[in-house]
Amino acid sequence: MSEGVIPLQAYLIVAALMFALGAWGVTIRRNAVVVFMCVELMINAVNLTLVAFSDYLPKAHGAGSGYAVVVIAIAAAEVAVGLAIVIAVFRTRRTVNIDEIDSMKG
Amino acid sequence: MNTAGSQLIIAAIVGLPFMSFLACVFLGRRLKENAQYVSILAVTISLVFSIFALLWVAGVLPASGGQISFSVPWIGLGEDATFPMGVQIGHWTAVMLVIVCFVSLMVQLFSGGYMAGHPRFAWYYAVVSIFTGSMLGLVVSPNFIQAYFFWELVGGTSYLIHGFYFERPAATYAAQKAFIVNRVADAALFIGIMVFWRETGTTSFSGIAEAAKAGIIGQTALTIGLLLVLLGATGKSAQFPLHVWLSNAMQGPTPLSALIHAAAMIVTGVYVISRTYDIFVQSPTAMEVVAIVGAFTAFMAATMALVQKDIKQIIAYSTISQFGYVMLGLGVGAFTAGVFHIYTHALFKSLLFLLAANLGYAVAGSSDMRVMGGLKSRMPVTYWAFVVAGLALAGVFPFSGFWSKDAVIASAYEEGHYVLFALALLTVGLTAFYIFRGIFICFHGEPRSEDARKASEVPVIMRVPVVILAFLSVVAGWVGIPRGFGLPVKDVFGDFVRPDRFVQSVTHATPGLFSFVLAGISVLFALIGLFLAYVFVLARPQWAEALGRRLPVVHDFLLNGWYFDLCYDRLFVRPAKALGRAVRDFDLREVGGLVGGFGRGAGWAGEKLRSLQTGGAQNYALFILFGAFVVAVVASAQYSFIAVIVLVAFGLAAAAVGSRL
Repeated sequence: MSEGVIPLQAYLIVAALMFALGAWGVTIRRNAVVVFMCVELMINAVNLTLVAFSDYLPKAHGAGSGYAVVVIAIAAAEVAVGLAIVIAVFRTRRTVNIDEIDSMKG
Repeated sequence: MNTAGSQLIIAAIVGLPFMSFLACVFLGRRLKENAQYVSILAVTISLVFSIFALLWVAGVLPASGGQISFSVPWIGLGEDATFPMGVQIGHWTAVMLVIVCFVSLMVQLFSGGYMAGHPRFAWYYAVVSIFTGSMLGLVVSPNFIQAYFFWELVGGTSYLIHGFYFERPAATYAAQKAFIVNRVADAALFIGIMVFWRETGTTSFSGIAEAAKAGIIGQTALTIGLLLVLLGATGKSAQFPLHVWLSNAMQGPTPLSALIHAAAMIVTGVYVISRTYDIFVQSPTAMEVVAIVGAFTAFMAATMALVQKDIKQIIAYSTISQFGYVMLGLGVGAFTAGVFHIYTHALFKSLLFLLAANLGYAVAGSSDMRVMGGLKSRMPVTYWAFVVAGLALAGVFPFSGFWSKDAVIASAYEEGHYVLFALALLTVGLTAFYIFRGIFICFHGEPRSEDARKASEVPVIMRVPVVILAFLSVVAGWVGIPRGFGLPVKDVFGDFVRPDRFVQSVTHATPGLFSFVLAGISVLFALIGLFLAYVFVLARPQWAEALGRRLPVVHDFLLNGWYFDLCYDRLFVRPAKALGRAVRDFDLREVGGLVGGFGRGAGWAGEKLRSLQTGGAQNYALFILFGAFVVAVVASAQYSFIAVIVLVAFGLAAAAVGSRL
């Protein structure tokens, strides 16, 4: 168990802010690449909470860190796929502005 | 009667017509007119085996006598509910078997000529076969369930008969009417069977009779059950108040009518009453109702027959009337007299119908008396056979109908049912009048149409059965000449078909009743009827016209069958139709409206929700986040202040996104 002077709440608050910032970005930024980066931000906020809990909850036996590693791996895969989609969209529509891509409109 | 071989013979009586039915249906196209030989062969063997059964129960054959009885399990529904399928042949049953097979054989012989060249020839014989088989199955039934099974089969196949000429709308209407009226009766019979089964735990005729004797079944339940069975019988035997289907049911081929009226369908009702007679006699109320229904029906149907314009209609009403006599006889406790009348009636009624078929054959398929006339010299065999059948029907001495009808009437008098006796006596006069009115109109006077002028006698194949039946219509009654008549002959029928000892002790009716005075009176009535028919049709036709003009109300009342159809139309048909229309409207408006409303509502909601599908990924992400937020709020309500902050943030975000879209 760590004897860190930084309390758990501090980690959580930082993570919440990161998450909120990411969510904010996902909802309002137009550039698809930036949106992806914001998604990464949200994912990393979650990773931060996982690692923090893993450190502060002895009974978890470090499970949170394991989850964080899995999440990072998935995020990497997701970005690979996501960027491929963005490139494909750019090739067909000559734009990566996410609000112009609304062909699923009902 | 326990060897497998003899049981097989008895089973073959019923089974052969069914096999013939299958052969005619499946090989009909290939057999064509040869179907008649298959069918006639089957019924002939059945007849021979029936005679064998008759000789067996009569004790003529070596090591015979008593009942033939065996059964196999049919439906098993647990310990208390096993229904066997079997055979029980007593004296009366054996006689009935012979009657059914014999009439069927005569009809089938006759039909070979009558139906020659018809495109559905094989189908015709299929129908005759299954009809005969169903009736035979009913006749041998030892229990109500099996009886009901064949009862329905008879009713169902009668639908095929009435609707045989389905090209004619009138025929399909008649078939449906007969079917529906009979459903009412069948339902009543079924409830009756259920009542017996509930009360006694058995459906076998003898079991129920024993239970009633032992007092296991209460008098009230017994009477209710019997009245329901009686209602069933009134439907099948066309007795009041369910007789209305029979006059329409003249649409089938005429020889088949002979079978329906003489040996099947219409006989089923009175036959079942005679078969369950040892149950019936245990309820005086039920017996009384049987007698009253019988006498009233006999009278009512005879009046309806007085003014009919169609010879087949007259004969049809006559059947209703004659089975009224049978019911009267059974109701007053004269078992032997009642079933004797079934036996004699079978012969002269089948003859009458075959003769009507002859007329139709000769006069271009019509049975309307207004196109006949003057056929006496052109069709002498038909004419004289008709006269014989008419005399037998009217009950003139010494024709067969006289002996049976007189026994019934005498029993009614002897048992003190004076009103019913008077009705029965009056009916004798009416009977003689209507049948001879028909004969005189058809055969005497001037031909009333071109067809009648060109008519000629029917082919030999059709004359043979007619002559046989005419001969039997004269002599068949002689086997039942009652004791005390003064002749040195035995009452063979009365000695043979006798109710069991128990019934005798309950009914007191003396078998073989006969009185010269009563017989004389009844023959007098018949002769008066005959004379009046002569006067009104031949001697003074203008009187009949004057009478019809003077009393048009009565004439129409009788011609329209006492307006029963009209009453039923107003009472049942129209309310049922109105109900049907109301239900249909409800279905269209309310149910349909509701369902349509749901559909339209869903469509409308979809249209409205469409605008939510913006196609923008960010928009969807916002919804997801909002949803996650709501879940979070619900899960942790105590941090609502954070929630408010986040909500405001979302509000701003939504506004920012919305402003760009």
